[in-house]
Amino acid sequence: MEVVFERIVKKYGDVTAVGGVDLTIKSGALHFLLGPSGCGKTTMLRMLAGLEAPSSGRLLFNGKDVTNLPAAARGIGMVFQNYALWPHMTVRKNIEYGLTVQKMSSDQIRQRTDEALAITQLSRYGDRLPGQLSGGQQQRVALARAIAVRPTVLLLDEPLSNLDAQLRLEMRDNLSRIHKQLGITTVYVTHDQKEALSMGTDVSVFRAGQLIQTDPPRQLYHAPKSAFVARFVGETNLLTATYLGHKDGLHSVKTTIGAIDASRSMTSAKVGDPVTVSFRPEAVKLNLGGGDIASDNRLTLKLDHLTYLGESEQFQLMGQDGTLVRASVFNPPDHTLAVGDTVAAWVAAEDVLVLPTETDQPAST
Amino acid sequence: MTAATGARRHFALTENLIGYGTILLILGVLVAFLIAPVAVILVKAFRGPDGFTLEYFQLLFQNELHMEATVNSLALGLVTVLATTVIALPLALVNAKLEFPGKTLLTGLLLMPMVMPPFVGAIGIQRFFARRGVVNLFLMEFGLTDAPIEWLEGSRIFWAVALLEALHLYPILYLNLTSALANIDPSLDDVADTLGVSKWKRLKDITWPLARPGYFAGAIIVFIWAFTDLGTPLLVGYQQALPVRIFNMISDVNENPMGFALVVLVIVMTLVIFFVSKLALSGRKYEMMARGHVTNRVQKLNFVGALPCYLLLGFVILLAVTPHLSVALTSFSDNWFMTILPEHYTLEHYHQVLATELPMIGIKNSLLFSGLSTLVDLFLGVLVAYVIARKIVPFTGLLEGVTMMPLALPGIVLAFGYVVTFTGTPLDPFINPMTLLIIAYAIRRLPYMVRAATAGLMQTSRSLEEASMVFGASRFMTLRRITVPLIAANLVAGCLLCFAYAMLDVSDSLILAMKDQYYPLTKAIYALFLEQGSGELTASALGVLGMILLAICLLGASRVLGKKMGELFRS
Repeated sequence: MEVVFERIVKKYGDVTAVGGVDLTIKSGALHFLLGPSGCGKTTMLRMLAGLEAPSSGRLLFNGKDVTNLPAAARGIGMVFQNYALWPHMTVRKNIEYGLTVQKMSSDQIRQRTDEALAITQLSRYGDRLPGQLSGGQQQRVALARAIAVRPTVLLLDEPLSNLDAQLRLEMRDNLSRIHKQLGITTVYVTHDQKEALSMGTDVSVFRAGQLIQTDPPRQLYHAPKSAFVARFVGETNLLTATYLGHKDGLHSVKTTIGAIDASRSMTSAKVGDPVTVSFRPEAVKLNLGGGDIASDNRLTLKLDHLTYLGESEQFQLMGQDGTLVRASVFNPPDHTLAVGDTVAAWVAAEDVLVLPTETDQPAST
Repeated sequence: MTAATGARRHFALTENLIGYGTILLILGVLVAFLIAPVAVILVKAFRGPDGFTLEYFQLLFQNELHMEATVNSLALGLVTVLATTVIALPLALVNAKLEFPGKTLLTGLLLMPMVMPPFVGAIGIQRFFARRGVVNLFLMEFGLTDAPIEWLEGSRIFWAVALLEALHLYPILYLNLTSALANIDPSLDDVADTLGVSKWKRLKDITWPLARPGYFAGAIIVFIWAFTDLGTPLLVGYQQALPVRIFNMISDVNENPMGFALVVLVIVMTLVIFFVSKLALSGRKYEMMARGHVTNRVQKLNFVGALPCYLLLGFVILLAVTPHLSVALTSFSDNWFMTILPEHYTLEHYHQVLATELPMIGIKNSLLFSGLSTLVDLFLGVLVAYVIARKIVPFTGLLEGVTMMPLALPGIVLAFGYVVTFTGTPLDPFINPMTLLIIAYAIRRLPYMVRAATAGLMQTSRSLEEASMVFGASRFMTLRRITVPLIAANLVAGCLLCFAYAMLDVSDSLILAMKDQYYPLTKAIYALFLEQGSGELTASALGVLGMILLAICLLGASRVLGKKMGELFRS
């Protein structure tokens, strides 16, 4: 089932929750709506479900206009953030509910329910009440309930946010597995970019009611189109710079800590324009044993702060004017660097990206 | 496309059916049975044989007896407010500032009068304050007086009524004051301490002005109730009270239109008092400036130090239960005459209740009428609460306001309106008051059911209903299988309350039940009370049974609702 949002707007009085979004969700995708709190992603999901009506714009399921179709008629399945399990019904009855509405025979209902319980590994818990289950089990019941009705679109509203870290990782694997097994078009709302990167086939980043960028995870991480996305998905170093020019396939910029060459640009800047340059901490190479590395973009910085994390070591480096550059070294060797030492750092041009300068202030949510 | 359009139309229809259908239904019911009766009174008060006239009002103001009754009732309201203040203020201060063993129990007992119908207490007052009544005997026994004091003669009867009203109403003021004092930031007290302000000055200049809005909110309720209460002055025999005069005029009101003018006078005065006080006195809600958790500074007293508190609380509680205690004693007494306490006890009067026709009619009728009115309340109340709480349509504010109107309207006004509006119609109370009584009970109790259902809906997450709809259920099915089961406890509590208060309803029952075969419980008590001989005793037994029923229902409701009970009683 392909879902298309066509110029969707949602306003609550004077507040614009979603301002003119065009988005296509491919059939069979596990499509993430990612963004900070208040960016409109949950509103998008609820409009998809039919729990809210858009102020303007159209919503299409496989080309059919369903904008004004009530929720009950859309054939979707949804997992709510707080699970919304009916406390006065057993697990089995919770799952059966959507099926009884469809007026199936009781044999069919039992069969579908057993299937759903098996897929979510809850076969032994059918007769328990939601109050007698752990958080993870409740989440799986909510999922079982949603897939039992064989929905055309499966909606997940921050399904893992109420679980502890360990459980979250487990459930991530479960959800991925179930998606691959059933192949249902799934729309998943979250603010956790790791979930999006690890599970999604496509990720749409939202900010303040606007859709900023939609791409598969790898592309999103390596080719963010704005500083916001670069910052939100993963960590990055962002430096203000002036565009110097384009020569030999490389974009040159001038920063306060020196000139840097980038192999890609997301802007159409002209010479002298202000831009932002981005490179990830893991792309910054340090020769901790001393000596030079044969690479581009040599930066000479002072070591400001060290954080040892076991699998990596985080170096916080400072330029002469106080600009901070963070470097992440995985599998860190022993070294003798101390705070205050001068450090040589390199970044490959392929790892540097020229981005447009942010004209507006980042939202302080 | 057609299937979707069909489904869309079907669901939109159901949505609107529940939303607008409920609004139309409830507005229809309230217009017919709340607004129309009042409107009819207003119209008839100003319409003479030749059109618009103020003649009735002129006659009214010239009628000495009516004017005297009006002044009496206003004075009654005022005196009651003062008396309840004198009782409630020290109690509230003690509750706010002191801590001592047994405080929870005692302060809980303070609220007992709220569940004890004053109507029943009024039965006991005669016996207590008669020439050879308990109080006089007690005083003479202990040599405090030589001759019996005429408590219920002449103007003194006013004070008997005022006392009964005050004893019934002080919990309202007490609750309002307690919450007002609890809201005052205790650091204000600390500041006063550091500045060396004396306790009295502190009370006068800081505590009182800040508690004032809460106080006046309660005082208005007390005033209006005391001003318009029918049951108590009627039973005590205080004829010169406004509600009693209205009651006596009902049977021939169409020949003597002055009755309409009198009722309009009551309406106007109630509204004026209500609005003036809302605007001028309780309008200002002081915002406490401090944020964050502040613990109230209470002074802890031990058993001995708290002795004055025990005396105070004990005295008030004793005073409050005295009328009802005397009714209970009467109901068990045998030949109680000229002694402080009965010398012989018997269950005879309870046998009489079961054996005599009138009490049994009263019980049966009340059970039937209250049961049916509770069902009506359940149906209407759930619909209204659902539409308001889930905002199914716009204008829910209007719906809410209209539904709560019965709380603001004095009992006699509405009952009077029913008589004049529905005489000559199929609902004529002179012929068969049953339907009208059921409707009157239902309308007056509807706000309680709506509040109980709303409380339940607020606690039930919307997402449980949204989940139901997402999985294909219509609103009807969602209501039936999800919402109602989840708020069932609140609905049960609401039903218990509606039933209990309908059973003990006074104004509608006394005024509308014109024929004795339709007498509800309260009217049967009244009729028995007026009978010569043992009528009073049977009435007492019946009254005690009524109180026990009320207590059981309230206990059941509070079990279910817990702390939320208080929310049902605010204005």
